[in-house]
Amino acid sequence: MIISREMNKLIKDQEGWTRRMFEEGIRIKKMYGLDAVCDFSLGNPDTEPPVALQNALIEMLTKPEIGMHRYMSNNGYEDVREEIADYLRETHGLPFQAGHIFMTVGCAGGLNVILKSILNRGDEVIVPTPFFWEFKNYINNFGGVTKFVETTEDFQLDIRNIEDAITKKTKAVLINSPNNPTGAVYTEESMKQLASLLNAKREQGQDIYVITDDAYKKLVYDGIHVPNVFKMYDLVLSVTSHSKDLALAGERIGYVAISPSIKDVDLLVSAMTISIRVLGFVNAPALFQRVAGKFQRTSVSIQDYEKKRDTLYAILMEAGFECVKPQGAFYMFPKSPIPDELEFVRTLQQEERIMVVPGRGFGREGYFRIAYCVPMEKILKAREGFLRIGDRYYSGGK
Amino acid sequence: MAISKNISTLMKNSSWIRAMFEEGEKLKKKHGAENIYDFSLGNPITEPPEALKEELIRVASSDAKGMHRYMTNSGYDDVREEIAQYQSEITGLPFTKDHIVMTVGAAGGLNVVFKSILDPGDEVIVPCPFFVEFMFYIGNHNGVIKLVDTKDDFHLDIDKIKAAINKKTKAILINSPHNPTGVVYNEAELLELIALLQERNQKGQRIYIVVDEAYKKIIYNGTKLPILPNMYDDTVAVTCHSKDLGLAGERIGYIAMSPRIRNVRSLIDATIFANRILGFINAPAIMQRVVAKFQRSSVDIMEYQKKRDAIYNILVESGFEVVKPAGAFYIFPKSPIPDDIKFVKTMLQHHILTVPGVGFGKPGYFRIAYCVTMDVIEKSRPYFKEVGESLRNGQQ
Repeated sequence: MIISREMNKLIKDQEGWTRRMFEEGIRIKKMYGLDAVCDFSLGNPDTEPPVALQNALIEMLTKPEIGMHRYMSNNGYEDVREEIADYLRETHGLPFQAGHIFMTVGCAGGLNVILKSILNRGDEVIVPTPFFWEFKNYINNFGGVTKFVETTEDFQLDIRNIEDAITKKTKAVLINSPNNPTGAVYTEESMKQLASLLNAKREQGQDIYVITDDAYKKLVYDGIHVPNVFKMYDLVLSVTSHSKDLALAGERIGYVAISPSIKDVDLLVSAMTISIRVLGFVNAPALFQRVAGKFQRTSVSIQDYEKKRDTLYAILMEAGFECVKPQGAFYMFPKSPIPDELEFVRTLQQEERIMVVPGRGFGREGYFRIAYCVPMEKILKAREGFLRIGDRYYSGGK
Repeated sequence: MAISKNISTLMKNSSWIRAMFEEGEKLKKKHGAENIYDFSLGNPITEPPEALKEELIRVASSDAKGMHRYMTNSGYDDVREEIAQYQSEITGLPFTKDHIVMTVGAAGGLNVVFKSILDPGDEVIVPCPFFVEFMFYIGNHNGVIKLVDTKDDFHLDIDKIKAAINKKTKAILINSPHNPTGVVYNEAELLELIALLQERNQKGQRIYIVVDEAYKKIIYNGTKLPILPNMYDDTVAVTCHSKDLGLAGERIGYIAMSPRIRNVRSLIDATIFANRILGFINAPAIMQRVVAKFQRSSVDIMEYQKKRDAIYNILVESGFEVVKPAGAFYIFPKSPIPDDIKFVKTMLQHHILTVPGVGFGKPGYFRIAYCVTMDVIEKSRPYFKEVGESLRNGQQ
């Protein structure tokens, strides 16, 4: 065989419906034209990086420093890491130093570096569902096993389920809040419960990491804050990217923040240094490290996203959908009007030319994901379609 | 334990490099960095071409929307189109954008390729001495590295390769121009290698040639780099622009899969998928756009050639036994004493930092990376002589 059996299996594992759906989407776009289609299927924000960032980039390139495109140490530029540590000291009230920051090729790169560094073959990582499908692939890359744990009805952590899922092999709990695909932000209370559960395990001699994928941490609404898990639990590794908050998805820039409470930080950093090297990342892209360092306190307009959320949520309610109102990220995860969400998503696509992703792509059948990181016009344009389809399934709405 | 067993083994194995590095740092502090001649790193001091820097400004200043967003995992269509055109030009083969996948450097590209083709226990043949990271790139995806010694002049030993091939062999990974020796494999030896692989092919076993072309443009005295895809169908080339365009820190490269590979589409799909799940997602956006236009450019090769000549002469004058490299920016002399680690430590006392051959799977040698200023090379001359003399006089 031209490719490995393992790879073949992985591809087959998810190709079936995604590919059919994707191809059908392309067909519909061709048939009706891009303007006629409302594509809510991709988490690829349409926003541009802040103007100040674009200017800083040009400034940096117009006054180039010798050596600015060379290799640097594998964990990134020291001054950039210092700037980030400074920001984290301020926002988290903990003594972060440059040594606690590790620059990575986005969040995806950061997660792979961490998992490579901590997982032995057969080690388990607990992931609350619905979940971002790639997590399973990342864990599998290093012989780890993903243990899925259902969340509550409103997509919050179900601590009892997590407790039941912990075994001797549990190495980490991987949390993504604000969450893709639900937009849920885990409450302070639930995070505290998780921390006390894991602290109890520590007393019994089992160290379990909390790995937080903080890709959406700045995208929160209604004036809420993402709980400061660093203050609740010692073994925290936070992974961030600037794909969303600075709209730099294509540039692949992010970082890992290691909790200052972790005693073996040098050992962990040495392991991550080897991991980032041998996995072939080598280091985060030089140019955008420098950019990221300067824009820790900046983000794209959160109000714009909040308006989009409000508008879309109102439309869904009007149409009769059942949906938990998200408090962060740019996703909504309504219940499908029929149990077979694949069928529903297909109908939505074919009849209303609205493209969304079936919930099974996130480990939860009977739901679908709407990514509303699109222009407001598209959301407004989709209104009629959602209302019509709601009318059809809910006979006039609720 | 806070970290995995695998990683802690890897760390132990590289601990001597660290020890050496720290000793070097100590000496730099003691004598001043300018008085230590550091030939230990393959981090070129050359800057990207001026035209490239201008292009970078142009791209960054563009009013176009979406310049920094995700694109398809394989990279921008128009960028891959341009690269395919360049590949077609060199090889005469019908490369299209589909045969190109943009990657996070060559290191990223190699990991993507091995993730795509290796099942647990599959073997990859690697001529030795070798760039030690290869071992990890293969091991990451549960492959097994089979090291095969090269000849005295570091060229391929076909008999040994033949003996190493078995049913589990999935690929041979070659790197030419070569790190750490600077050797460039010639057409004759590659044809012999290919004959071996074709024999297997006729028996139904496909073996890829995966070629790491990171140094392909750094080649001297008109030496010609054989065009592998023209010689062997199952060729996958991995390139980066760290060296030829001086962009090492920006992590940009690509995989070129020969259009002659049978069922190449499934390999292409696998590499795109691997690029995603290994966490690369895509090669950095801005650099993709820039390098597309510079496929035919490179940093000044004559500069490197002058440095190669200078360091080679210094070594010969000082009495070292050394093969003159035809490419890359490394030279790999024999250590005057069998214990290369001890020798490299001796060199440290003479203010010269190099890497022992054992770091490349070849004890009894040492590597000099001459991607430094000519000034450093010239200033190191008396020290090399000093070491040479002291060794000849038996005063180690």
